[in-house]
Amino acid sequence: MIKQILLIWAVLSWVQPAYSEDMTGLDVMRLVVSRDDGNDLIQHMKQRLIDKRGNVRERLMMSFSKDYGEDSKSITYFLQPANVRDTAMLTWDYADDNRDDDQWLYLPALKKVRRISSSDRGDYFMGTDFTFEDIKSTPTLGDYQWTLAGSENIDGADVWVVDAEPKSKALKKNLGYSKVRYYVRKDIHMYIKVDFWDIKGKELKHLVSTDIKQVQGIWTAMQGVMSNVQTHHRTELTFSEQQYNTNLSNRMFSERMLKRGYRGQ
Amino acid sequence: MHRIFHWILRHPKIVLLLLLVTTAAAVSQMRHIHIETDVDAMLPKHSDAYINKKVLDERFGSSDVVIIGIINEKEGIYTPENLALVQELTDWLGEQDLFQTLSLNDLLSLSTIKDIRGTEDGLDVTPFMDGLPETIEEAKKIQTRMHAFGIYENVIASADGKGTIIAVRPMPDSRDQYAKIYDLLQSKVKELELSHSNDSFFISGRPIIEGVFGVYMPQEMKRMQPIIMALLVLLLYISFRTPRGVFLPLAAVLIAEIWTLGTMAALGFNIYTITTMLPILIMAIGIADAVHFLSRERLLAHYGKYNHRKERIIEVMHELWKPMLMTSVTTGVGFLSMLSSELPPIQEFGIFAAVGITYALIVTMLLFPAALMLLPEEAAHTARKPLFSGYIEWSSQAILNYPKRIMLMFALLTTISVIGIMRLGVDASLVAQFKPNDPVRHADTVLNEHFSGTTSLDIMIDTGKENGLLEPVFLQHIVDLQKEIEKDPVVGDTSSISEFLMLMNQALHADNPAYNRVPESSNLAAQYLLLYSFSGAPDDFETFMTGDYRQAHIRINMKTDSTHAVAMMLKNLKSKTDVWFPSSAGYQVEWAGTGFTLHRLAQMIIAGQITSLALSILAIFLLCWWMFKRLLIAFIAMIPVSLAVTVNYGTMGNVGIPLDLATALTGAMALGIGVDFAIHYLHRYHEESIADHTYEESVINTNRSVGHAILFNTIVVVGGFLVLLSAALYPQMKLGALIAATMTVCYVATVYLFPVLLGLGKKNIKV
Repeated sequence: MIKQILLIWAVLSWVQPAYSEDMTGLDVMRLVVSRDDGNDLIQHMKQRLIDKRGNVRERLMMSFSKDYGEDSKSITYFLQPANVRDTAMLTWDYADDNRDDDQWLYLPALKKVRRISSSDRGDYFMGTDFTFEDIKSTPTLGDYQWTLAGSENIDGADVWVVDAEPKSKALKKNLGYSKVRYYVRKDIHMYIKVDFWDIKGKELKHLVSTDIKQVQGIWTAMQGVMSNVQTHHRTELTFSEQQYNTNLSNRMFSERMLKRGYRGQ
Repeated sequence: MHRIFHWILRHPKIVLLLLLVTTAAAVSQMRHIHIETDVDAMLPKHSDAYINKKVLDERFGSSDVVIIGIINEKEGIYTPENLALVQELTDWLGEQDLFQTLSLNDLLSLSTIKDIRGTEDGLDVTPFMDGLPETIEEAKKIQTRMHAFGIYENVIASADGKGTIIAVRPMPDSRDQYAKIYDLLQSKVKELELSHSNDSFFISGRPIIEGVFGVYMPQEMKRMQPIIMALLVLLLYISFRTPRGVFLPLAAVLIAEIWTLGTMAALGFNIYTITTMLPILIMAIGIADAVHFLSRERLLAHYGKYNHRKERIIEVMHELWKPMLMTSVTTGVGFLSMLSSELPPIQEFGIFAAVGITYALIVTMLLFPAALMLLPEEAAHTARKPLFSGYIEWSSQAILNYPKRIMLMFALLTTISVIGIMRLGVDASLVAQFKPNDPVRHADTVLNEHFSGTTSLDIMIDTGKENGLLEPVFLQHIVDLQKEIEKDPVVGDTSSISEFLMLMNQALHADNPAYNRVPESSNLAAQYLLLYSFSGAPDDFETFMTGDYRQAHIRINMKTDSTHAVAMMLKNLKSKTDVWFPSSAGYQVEWAGTGFTLHRLAQMIIAGQITSLALSILAIFLLCWWMFKRLLIAFIAMIPVSLAVTVNYGTMGNVGIPLDLATALTGAMALGIGVDFAIHYLHRYHEESIADHTYEESVINTNRSVGHAILFNTIVVVGGFLVLLSAALYPQMKLGALIAATMTVCYVATVYLFPVLLGLGKKNIKV
């Protein structure tokens, strides 16, 4: 009897990891990349930058974005603070690694559109704790060595733990990371937590996504908090009023619209 | 008292055991001793310089950076090889755990600083060195661009192109690692020197200076201790010629020294540069008690007045405890007057000098009786003519024969000294504490010659409202203030957010130099900064302004840390800042940084100096009045010490030694030690007078007994402090020389001037 129980236990414990072993880290991340996130999106964005003394800087933005195959375009209007109101940013994001993204900024006080020079992927974005790499919806899979490190349960959700190491020293320097760890929810293929280590191999920052809901059937995180444990600086991004798949016109993503400013929906 | 003395003599073993146990306990505490080299920690916590420095560090990041200079006189720095070297060293620094390298301002070098450039349709923010240049032409292009950009000229690279610096911030709260940082950098530089024979490397910056201080201080303490002990052994041997005559006094002062350091450690007090001199001081002063006890005991044994050893020792204790207590009290009061200074190092020096002297007295009164009870009786010595007897006799005759010449000589000395006092200056410079040929000081001098300066001075302006610093008027006033400051020749460079906004304004107007001015509206400035945040890192300007655009920071690089220069600058700028940033409009201007800290330190040294001297003179005068019961005698008692103090400061003024943390101590120290001479002398003279001796007889007799003791005491103190001349740091050397000179004057004044003064008047002054 005992032998049989042991046998069943052995089989069970064999079967359980066998399922994970079939999945590689890269497989998990492919699931993440292919997750449905709509064709276009309109949403309100609130940025709260919190420094180590607890001082808060807040920005309100309205953002429109649309997929063009693998590429994407977006336009973002600043609503607050008052001294940057009507400033707007247009981004054309290319999937092709060899092509730099195009970015323009309209400065209402100067009444001119200015091109923003391309940045390194590891450069910080708009004074937040996110780098240009971090704000991309998904990482470039080919740049990392992916390893499935195991499974965990975070706040009641089963997740895969996937470790990513930039493939070369140059890439590490460019990205500013020596290692990244993604926690990917098994049910909805969305990562809900990311840990980052700096080039020296020290713990650098954590991204935690919360308030995950379905909007028009698409899983959406309403909040993302990036905390830098070295600078003790924190960025809270809050998203609201999402509207997916409203068939945004191509004219939305032009220089003319950039200058025109946001006139409400 | 009697019962205590008897108890000690009945239980000598218990007393010795007690001494041993307490000393062991003190030794066990000594490992907790903490050496403090932070100049800011030398200020009282309520000082604005102390508070502002904390605010500065927190709000704008620390301005205490390690500076590594690379100078190549032959080829200049703009060659592919040298720029590769800069890159290599910068990358290496970025990998070291001892440094914080989170943002641009944590690690500034030719390979990290960014160029802001206008292009046809936008703003370009790229590193000056975008990849390593391969040809000399490419390297020279960087030089041309650096020059045109201007902001980093002489700050990061010298205008002549011969040298560059790398500035890196140590990790926060890593003060105890500063010495390690210096070692690490030195070994890295040695390695680089092998492969780059034309490059010279220089390491400086406040963390390095403080780190080296931290290394020198314990080294010096350890090195000088045996020298002073050897000196004591020699002097004691000359005087007593027996093992117990050498080792008992030595043991007494050593125990007192250990107790003092143990007490400091146990109570959590720090060791500062000046407190490293405490052990020497305690030895030099404490030895007097020991010598007095032993000589008296010997004398009584010699005359064989007491048959029992115990009776004899009791008699010695009875005779000596009062004068010993009195001299300890007066010396202690001299040191305790240092409490009136606002500066913790001076206060603590005073407290623990007094504590050490008290310990020396207690140890002497316990150790000697107990040890002498246990040691076998010495064979009675044959009377030996004391050393220096010839000199003593000669001096007595000189005093009696040439009173007018003696008076004249002292009058002359006083006049010269008073002139010197008027020329006395103050300077709390950190770098000036190193000898000119010290590698740290040399590096600092070279870096100040080639670059904008290694001493930081900072102005923080609170505009009183969010976005306040974006106002064009405010930005322009910052520019005006910078221009005003840069007129001062000791200022190498100033920088602020205005400079960067002017550059962006120009860059966004197609690089038209006509637009090299502050943005014309607050909104425009805000939008420039937003635009910049897409290309540059968000914390590129963290050191110049806060995230709410309310507080601005102007960074000043000075080529000297002389406090005089800062004092002048503050005075001149006050009228400007009051007009440009009026408090009535909500502005608040605060100064900070090393330059300001040292300036405040200098001010407090002077303020403390005057009150502390006045206090100790008054206290010692009152004590003398109480002791001698006569006002006139109290006045006379004060003359040699007052003279010694006058000569001390006069010499400093005449020789050009400024008042600093160390030299500021000399006045009160001289007063406290010197007054003992006067008390001993007057006591003896009093005894002679009441024995109905004539003036001449009294002078000769007093000179024979007390003159001798004072001479020995002077030799010990002077010798002990002269050992400090071998120190690696100037403060200790200066203090040593000054105390030695002052004590000599004190001795001469006591032995020569006293009798002349007492001989004045119709019937000579009776004591």
